[in-house]
Amino acid sequence: MAKISLKDINKVYGDKFHAIRDLTFHIEDGEFMVFVGPSGCGKSTALRMIAGLEKITSGELRIGDEIVNDVDPKDRDIAMVFQSYALYPHKTVRENIAFPLQMAGIPRDERARRVTNAARVLELTDHLDRKPGQLSGGQRQRVAMGRAIVRQPKAFLMDEPLSNLDAKLRVQMRAEIASLQRRLGVTTIYVTHDQVEAMTMGDRVAVLKAGVLQQVDTPQILYARPRNIFVAAFIGSPSMNLYEATLDGELLVLGEQTLKVPSSVFAARPAIRESANRPVIVGIRPEDIDDASVTTKPEFEEIDAPVSLVEALGAETMVHLKIDAPWVDAGDPDAVAEIGDEHTAVGRFSPATSVRPGDTARLAISADSLHFFDPETRVSLW
Amino acid sequence: MAERSTFDMGRTIVQALALLLVLSFAVPYVYLVMTSLKPAAHVQQIPPSFLPNRISVENYLTVINTQSMPRAFLSSVAVAVLTTILSLALSVPAAYVAAQYRRPITVFFLLFALITRMVPAVSLGVPLFQLLKSLGLLDTTFGLVLAHTSAAVPLVLLLLAAFFDGLPKEMEEAARMDGCSRFQAFLYIVVPVMKSGIAISALFAFITSWNEFLYALLLTSQNSKTAPIVIAEFNSVYGLSWGPMTAAAVLYSLPVVLVTLVLQKQIIGGLTFGAVKG
Ligand SMILES: Nc1ncnc2c1ncn2[C@@H]1O[C@H](COP(=O)(O)OP(=O)(O)OP(=O)(O)O)[C@@H](O)[C@H]1O
Ligand SMILES: [Mg+2]
Repeated sequence: MAKISLKDINKVYGDKFHAIRDLTFHIEDGEFMVFVGPSGCGKSTALRMIAGLEKITSGELRIGDEIVNDVDPKDRDIAMVFQSYALYPHKTVRENIAFPLQMAGIPRDERARRVTNAARVLELTDHLDRKPGQLSGGQRQRVAMGRAIVRQPKAFLMDEPLSNLDAKLRVQMRAEIASLQRRLGVTTIYVTHDQVEAMTMGDRVAVLKAGVLQQVDTPQILYARPRNIFVAAFIGSPSMNLYEATLDGELLVLGEQTLKVPSSVFAARPAIRESANRPVIVGIRPEDIDDASVTTKPEFEEIDAPVSLVEALGAETMVHLKIDAPWVDAGDPDAVAEIGDEHTAVGRFSPATSVRPGDTARLAISADSLHFFDPETRVSLW
Repeated sequence: MAERSTFDMGRTIVQALALLLVLSFAVPYVYLVMTSLKPAAHVQQIPPSFLPNRISVENYLTVINTQSMPRAFLSSVAVAVLTTILSLALSVPAAYVAAQYRRPITVFFLLFALITRMVPAVSLGVPLFQLLKSLGLLDTTFGLVLAHTSAAVPLVLLLLAAFFDGLPKEMEEAARMDGCSRFQAFLYIVVPVMKSGIAISALFAFITSWNEFLYALLLTSQNSKTAPIVIAEFNSVYGLSWGPMTAAAVLYSLPVVLVTLVLQKQIIGGLTFGAVKG
């Protein structure tokens, strides 16, 4: 168990492709850190540099107090779970799990005891003598976990370990891995491109985009105070609705319509006050948009918008709306809510709503929860 | 409908061609076996008959009683086994590195290995002869092993590189995370995982050496003559004796045929390994 810190880490592939830029952060001993970001943003690269499988181009990596840039993976004392599991096909489950212990020179009976323990924790006891080829996807995933937890490494590294499982199993394993990690207290870095996994599992979440760290924070803070519009759009599902607007005194001008921004917002976030009478990007989370005729929100501002699609999910109803203001692309490929070639806003309406596609809905917007960003820098205004 | 019937037609044609191919390989061998079972006097009868009119083991007895045969057989075994071991020792690591750590130069390297196979073997015979002579290795088992290895390595290297191409890179990486050095990962994980591919490559190396004639003829004389040379000698040293020659050829082919039959499943599985992994 150890803390891990990265200082100005860069990775350049083949003199050309700058995959990671000046990555700096610190992971506490025992912390569960999640790397999240869209495909190709460099999550695996970052993880593999920590593992020692990829050479660090520049910067300083510490595990514990030691600088390990040039330490061989075998001497870093880190366990890794691969997306493909990478189980050894010629070995039984028992031999797979025992292999790291064998390499560490642990005596046979101690090895057997620990394998039995790990197998019990992971409910693999009945499958110990099978080969990986005879296991289901979920069982293989557990064997890969077993191989990691059987020794007490300084850290666990996991690269999308659940992405090959079906949705239901993924939810179950997500909870199991998180609780296992809390129990073992081993520093963990977990890579995913699924922001729900990131939010539910991580003590803290690091959001990456194109090799650049956007923000590292607890899930709550990431959600409530995203640093820029990329994080704002990436975290949360459906993602935050982002539009170009203008602040005119206390009024937010959104297309042809206006909403009054509560003075509490200006009081809490001085940067917004300084942006008065300037263009801004406004962000509205779907849960901050409801049907004004049925909403239970105590305070709200009203605007109108045509409805283009209604998805009744039971506990809530997702309503796609045409907001007549310029839509903002946050640069998150997974977050684009599009119908045809038209960008829509999504509102998370209460199920009592009776709006239909084609109607013009009267929206209740929680104006005290609005997010504001600088249109130039795309950074949040606080 | 139309598409379905053309598809079946194509299938039939492919099967017919496959049958023709199998026959073209099989008929000469069957004819060899048939001839070896004829009484010596009938072997060269005109017109020739396909089936022996009387089964006889006469030719086989002649072979077994030929003085130089058992020794040549042993020599063949020694050369082929050593060639196989040496070829694999050189090719397995090289092919692994070539396949897993691909660089622009890798393809060049693999093609370069093939160059020795692009010129007629006989043109390499003279330089090899002089090389071995200067090393004092003419007419030695080891000398011939070196020559055969130079012939086997290019084939085995390419074959192995194709097998290793199908091996996920994470296999080695997982082993390294589990506490292996690069070499330990290769030895404890990669080699066992790839064992059927390695077995097939071993078989190819073995056959290359087992049936090699030209180098054996040029580079050996007394001490380490291999069986193919002695088999050919039936028609020169002992006058024209096609009968014993065919019998010797059949006997000589048996080990390879048997091994191939036994390993049939692995060979087919191994050769389609690349096809199924994706
Ligand atoms: N060996 C390599 N050589 C050159 N470029 C590479 C190499 N490995 C990765 N890259 C590039 O680096 C970038 C980051 O890759 P990486 O695998 O870290 O992404 P990722 O965030 O893990 O994506 P995903 O979610 O798809 O797994 C990608 O653009 C990729 O093409
Ligand atoms: Mg990845």
